[in-house]
Amino acid sequence: MAIAKAERLMNLALCLLGTRRPLSKRELRGSIEAYLEAGTDDSFNRMFERDKEDLRELGLVIETVENLDGETGYLARRDSNRLPPITLDAEEAAALGLAAKVWQQARLAGAASGALQKLRAAGMPEAEDAYEAHHSALEPRIPVHEAAFEPLMLACRDRRPVVFDYRKANAARPEQRQVEPWTLECWRGHWYLAGWDRDRGAERVFRLSRITGRVRSRAGSFTAPVPDAVTVRETVESWAGETATRSALIRLRSGCGYPLRARAVSSRDLGDGWDELEIPYGHGLDAWLVEFGPDVVVLEPADLRADVVERLRAVAKG
Amino acid sequence: MAANAIDQTRRMLSLVTYLRERPGAHVSDVARAFGISEDELISDLDVLPMCGTSFRGGDLLDIDTDGDRIWWHNPDDVAEPLRLAADEATALLVAARAVTTLPGLREGDRQALLRATAKLEAAAGEAAGASSRLSVTFESEGGVFAEVDRAISERRRLWLRYYSPARDELTEREVDPIRLFAVGHTYMEAWCRLSEARRTFRLDRVAEIKLLDAPAAPPELELRDLSEGLVQPSAEDPEVVVEVGPGGRWVAEYYPHDSAEEQPDGGLRITLRTPAPASLRRLALRLGGDGRIVSPRELAESARLAADEALAAYDGRE
Repeated sequence: MAIAKAERLMNLALCLLGTRRPLSKRELRGSIEAYLEAGTDDSFNRMFERDKEDLRELGLVIETVENLDGETGYLARRDSNRLPPITLDAEEAAALGLAAKVWQQARLAGAASGALQKLRAAGMPEAEDAYEAHHSALEPRIPVHEAAFEPLMLACRDRRPVVFDYRKANAARPEQRQVEPWTLECWRGHWYLAGWDRDRGAERVFRLSRITGRVRSRAGSFTAPVPDAVTVRETVESWAGETATRSALIRLRSGCGYPLRARAVSSRDLGDGWDELEIPYGHGLDAWLVEFGPDVVVLEPADLRADVVERLRAVAKG
Repeated sequence: MAANAIDQTRRMLSLVTYLRERPGAHVSDVARAFGISEDELISDLDVLPMCGTSFRGGDLLDIDTDGDRIWWHNPDDVAEPLRLAADEATALLVAARAVTTLPGLREGDRQALLRATAKLEAAAGEAAGASSRLSVTFESEGGVFAEVDRAISERRRLWLRYYSPARDELTEREVDPIRLFAVGHTYMEAWCRLSEARRTFRLDRVAEIKLLDAPAAPPELELRDLSEGLVQPSAEDPEVVVEVGPGGRWVAEYYPHDSAEEQPDGGLRITLRTPAPASLRRLALRLGGDGRIVSPRELAESARLAADEALAAYDGRE
């Protein structure tokens, strides 16, 4: 039976961490059973390169040094791989333990528990059993359903340009977009990407659920400077109509439309089974008002009235 | 056996450091400290004796267990706490920052988390850099949150005035809270004494809340697995078919559905299930010209009638 990958990676890590002088590939192959069984030089080389990358993923700093004979050697120096001293008390440890549970995405969940395990090995105290009784009952969860999340997370981390097909909210067909990805942000349970759109030569925000097909990496580096602060949330809020610039006047049937009342700037009882409300008017208000059917009548402004009437006519046509 | 070789390798490296300081450690204690099952730990302990700096020279880790305690007979100094990888630092820091933004989080927990975050940033050094490229904001439903949190920890009943968008009405009810969780929005799962069933309440739809003196007495229930999504329609629920144009594709993002077939015009034909099809009248109205309900017929008809009735209010007032 082939030797399990975890055993092979563990052996390579211990060899590189244990040595005080760089070890050549030949030496490593002689010390690690799985490499001896690797068969041809080619398959060993491929395996070795992949394993080094995997160890780097989990944080190992592996140096490449050339010796006097021109042979390449590898080592993981103790001082560049040691965790700096960190002292956490039981409360802080418990708080981090709660935080680490929020990820529902495999890669991040694995990385978060890996981080806790490293801290535990470095002496982080364990939570007392009594902890749960007097702390918040909340279970926060960060959902990640979008397939594009992981490749984009890695591209943001490594600052690699990407290309993907993207379907705008009201577009019939997806369009290819070339993007230099900056940051990912989760808001109201949905993920958004902010970055530089190369074709449009401008900053853009993309909703991950509208990316169709695979996210592919592009060679080369970023061409536009990355801003210090990226405003994903403000952009999305304006899509969602939360940045209202005007106000609207509506009539609302008594007892109906609680969410409209909760937002109202002012309200008065008209005495005939209807109330008159002034509410903030931002993008998307027309579609929302139509949901209330005959329980809402728009009084002003005229453009909002016209939009609502047009929507109602479309539904009435059937 | 761990599904992921990288996660297992990372864990075994920390395990070695941890065991070095604790000769004769108990399997159950170590498994708890590492947040893994005893079976997972035993499978790690099966691999470790095959690892070392050379399989030939006999420089292998002499670690064994009798199933209860763990012994390492030749501990060496390979095992120092390892620095955090970029993904590990990102996963833990992003989660910790997100949780500190949770409205209603107890002040003691928030302070502990802020302290831990600062220490973690310092210890992670460079590896913390990429963590600013990912961020998560939880919704603010603060006032209600604190009451629910208190009710859960004191096991008390709550009185709510709750908004149901499906019927556009506020209802009063008493509930026995079970738990609080955040997935985009913050929700309370509770036993509803009005409907005598388990219900999920979105906190931003709670219009009014009161903590009652009566003790909460929810029946013994198995907690739902939230990773499957919040809304889990049952196969017996009636079927609704909605056809949308390109402008109505968002319906597939917001409504869990059985199928969404691509249409030639760039739209979708979506089949979904709901216990109360009448509640989708709002959706039909909202869609306007961007889509229509195909079946059931009565639902399509009720949306058309509502639109007709609403339009009557605008007649002669253009």
